[in-house]
Amino acid sequence: MKKLFTIMAMLLTVAHAFAEVDALSILKNSDQARGGGLPGIVWEIKLVSRDGDKLEEPQRIVVKAVDESSVAETQEPVRFKGSKILQVERNMWLTKPGLSKPIPISPHQRMSGQASNGDIAATNYAGDYDAQMSGTEIVDGENCFVLNLSAKHKRATYDKIRYWVSVKRVVGIKAEFYSVSGKLLKTARFNYDNVIEYDGKRIPFVSKMLIRDALIDAETTMEFLSVKVKKISAAEFDLGQLQ
Amino acid sequence: MKWAVVALLMPLFAHAQSDWRTSWDGTLYGYANNLASRGDSVLNPNNRVARLVQRAEVAELRFNLKAENETLRFSARGISSARATHNNFAAQQHGETYLSQWQVRARASEDWTVAAGREVLNWGAAQFRSPSSPFYFDNGRSDPMRELVGMDALKVTWTPDRQRSVNFARIVRSGYGAAQPDVWRDSWLAKFDQRGDEWAYGVVLAKSPQHAAFYGAHGQLTVSDALLCYSELGSSARDSVLLSPADLIQPFSLQTRSPRRIFALLGAAYTFDNGHTFSAEYLHEEGGFSRAQEIAYFQRARILPGMALAYAPRLLGRDYVHMVWQSNFLESEGYWRAMFTRNLTDGSSELGAYAEKSLNPHWSAFSTVLWNAGGAQQELSALFVHSLTVGIKVALP
Repeated sequence: MKKLFTIMAMLLTVAHAFAEVDALSILKNSDQARGGGLPGIVWEIKLVSRDGDKLEEPQRIVVKAVDESSVAETQEPVRFKGSKILQVERNMWLTKPGLSKPIPISPHQRMSGQASNGDIAATNYAGDYDAQMSGTEIVDGENCFVLNLSAKHKRATYDKIRYWVSVKRVVGIKAEFYSVSGKLLKTARFNYDNVIEYDGKRIPFVSKMLIRDALIDAETTMEFLSVKVKKISAAEFDLGQLQ
Repeated sequence: MKWAVVALLMPLFAHAQSDWRTSWDGTLYGYANNLASRGDSVLNPNNRVARLVQRAEVAELRFNLKAENETLRFSARGISSARATHNNFAAQQHGETYLSQWQVRARASEDWTVAAGREVLNWGAAQFRSPSSPFYFDNGRSDPMRELVGMDALKVTWTPDRQRSVNFARIVRSGYGAAQPDVWRDSWLAKFDQRGDEWAYGVVLAKSPQHAAFYGAHGQLTVSDALLCYSELGSSARDSVLLSPADLIQPFSLQTRSPRRIFALLGAAYTFDNGHTFSAEYLHEEGGFSRAQEIAYFQRARILPGMALAYAPRLLGRDYVHMVWQSNFLESEGYWRAMFTRNLTDGSSELGAYAEKSLNPHWSAFSTVLWNAGGAQQELSALFVHSLTVGIKVALP
């Protein structure tokens, strides 16, 4: 009897480990479609935000990102052209032409509308979150793995995420973002009409992200354009060379 | 400098077939300023010494040019202005056009970058003053509407990864409009920076041929999503220092080289959920006067206001507090900032505010106001009582 319990415990442990490995590999694969695990990515983002009935001014930014580092340069509105936000790990700075020196900024200073600075950078959920498989569900007629993600460290943009990843395409198609206390903050839906070529493979790539505030009637749409996979030198993320 | 630029431009022609990206943009400013100089000023009686501009109307174009490919990058920021100025003594009109910054930068290899140009070499998180910068201690505070002008420099940067960088620069001279004699002509700068998960720091060494070395350091720690703590530190010896002994029997005297002094700033910034940020900074300037010395300084200034003003230390007092409350920098519709500065040595204060409102995608209106509280023998209120600037700016193209 004792032997039977030992074998069952071992089997459960192994099964649990496999489930975690599976969740992690699913997450890693889905990250690639949002810029994660690549040597570097350059994309242009068009942001349009709505707060109630009020439509905010559209923004256009060019983002260069590798892992947890990114630099986002504003192109439009024209009065902010040349403004850059640099993020290296959890450190963030804002600089713009004519400023006496770069200003450190806080992750609390949101980009625009419902988009966080982390939303415009390459997604590295596999590096930033612990993942647990929570089963499967159908979303828009598509069978999805449901992953529960918990932040591994403080630089993660959100504390907890519930993430729906397509079983067939292995891309994240829906997400819910939660606070530490478990309060739903935002929801997001993703489209993948872009395609990138990497490592000899053609990978579907995110083309649109719609973020809705869970607490108020507000939403932000981000369109991802001109996506290029390319190695980006470390100098691009050096504050002293941001001029 | 010219040869360095030519050498850097050589790859430009070698890569003439490369994919060049070019862009330009600019901002047209129009603003008027009114400054109420202090009638009973000790340092500047009836505005006879400083001859402060009491009214100004300015039209200014600030433009950016950029051309770059994978190897080479050229950027320039030019300023062209026409201004009419008035005070009790004269009305003048003058114009100027200059490059406040420009740079030719070439990527020599994956890790190495070489650059030549005019660059603002300023760093650290502090807003009030920049103790860790040998070139820009004032941080542009003396004239908020005027941009800092870069230092003419040749720079080599080693960036082995995203966490570290090392810079060596030969400072050829201070940039356009620098005070003469130029203390930074033919000097050297070395800077090391490192960034971690939630911290960043840099150390600085600068040396000019005739002057004592400058040592500086700056650091910041992101404590949480809301709280940032930072510090800047500098140490240098000044070439000529006005001594103002507390004993009034002794006169002003100029010391040709001061002992090495330390200046340090501690600060913290807290960002609220709505994106507004409150920051508080404390600055200690070892080279400033004590309270008794500052009182004696103003007493002596009654007889020698010109000398008192011309050779005044960069800050009269030793201890300062600076507080700023500002809206989210990233808001597109507008931005405002309220500032309070207090000289703890003499009790004088300055209140300031800046506000900007976007009128449409191209047009914005802005205003800045300064109001000094204190007497004629206190630093922050020694020269003027209040100043108001109102203007518009138009983004181009």
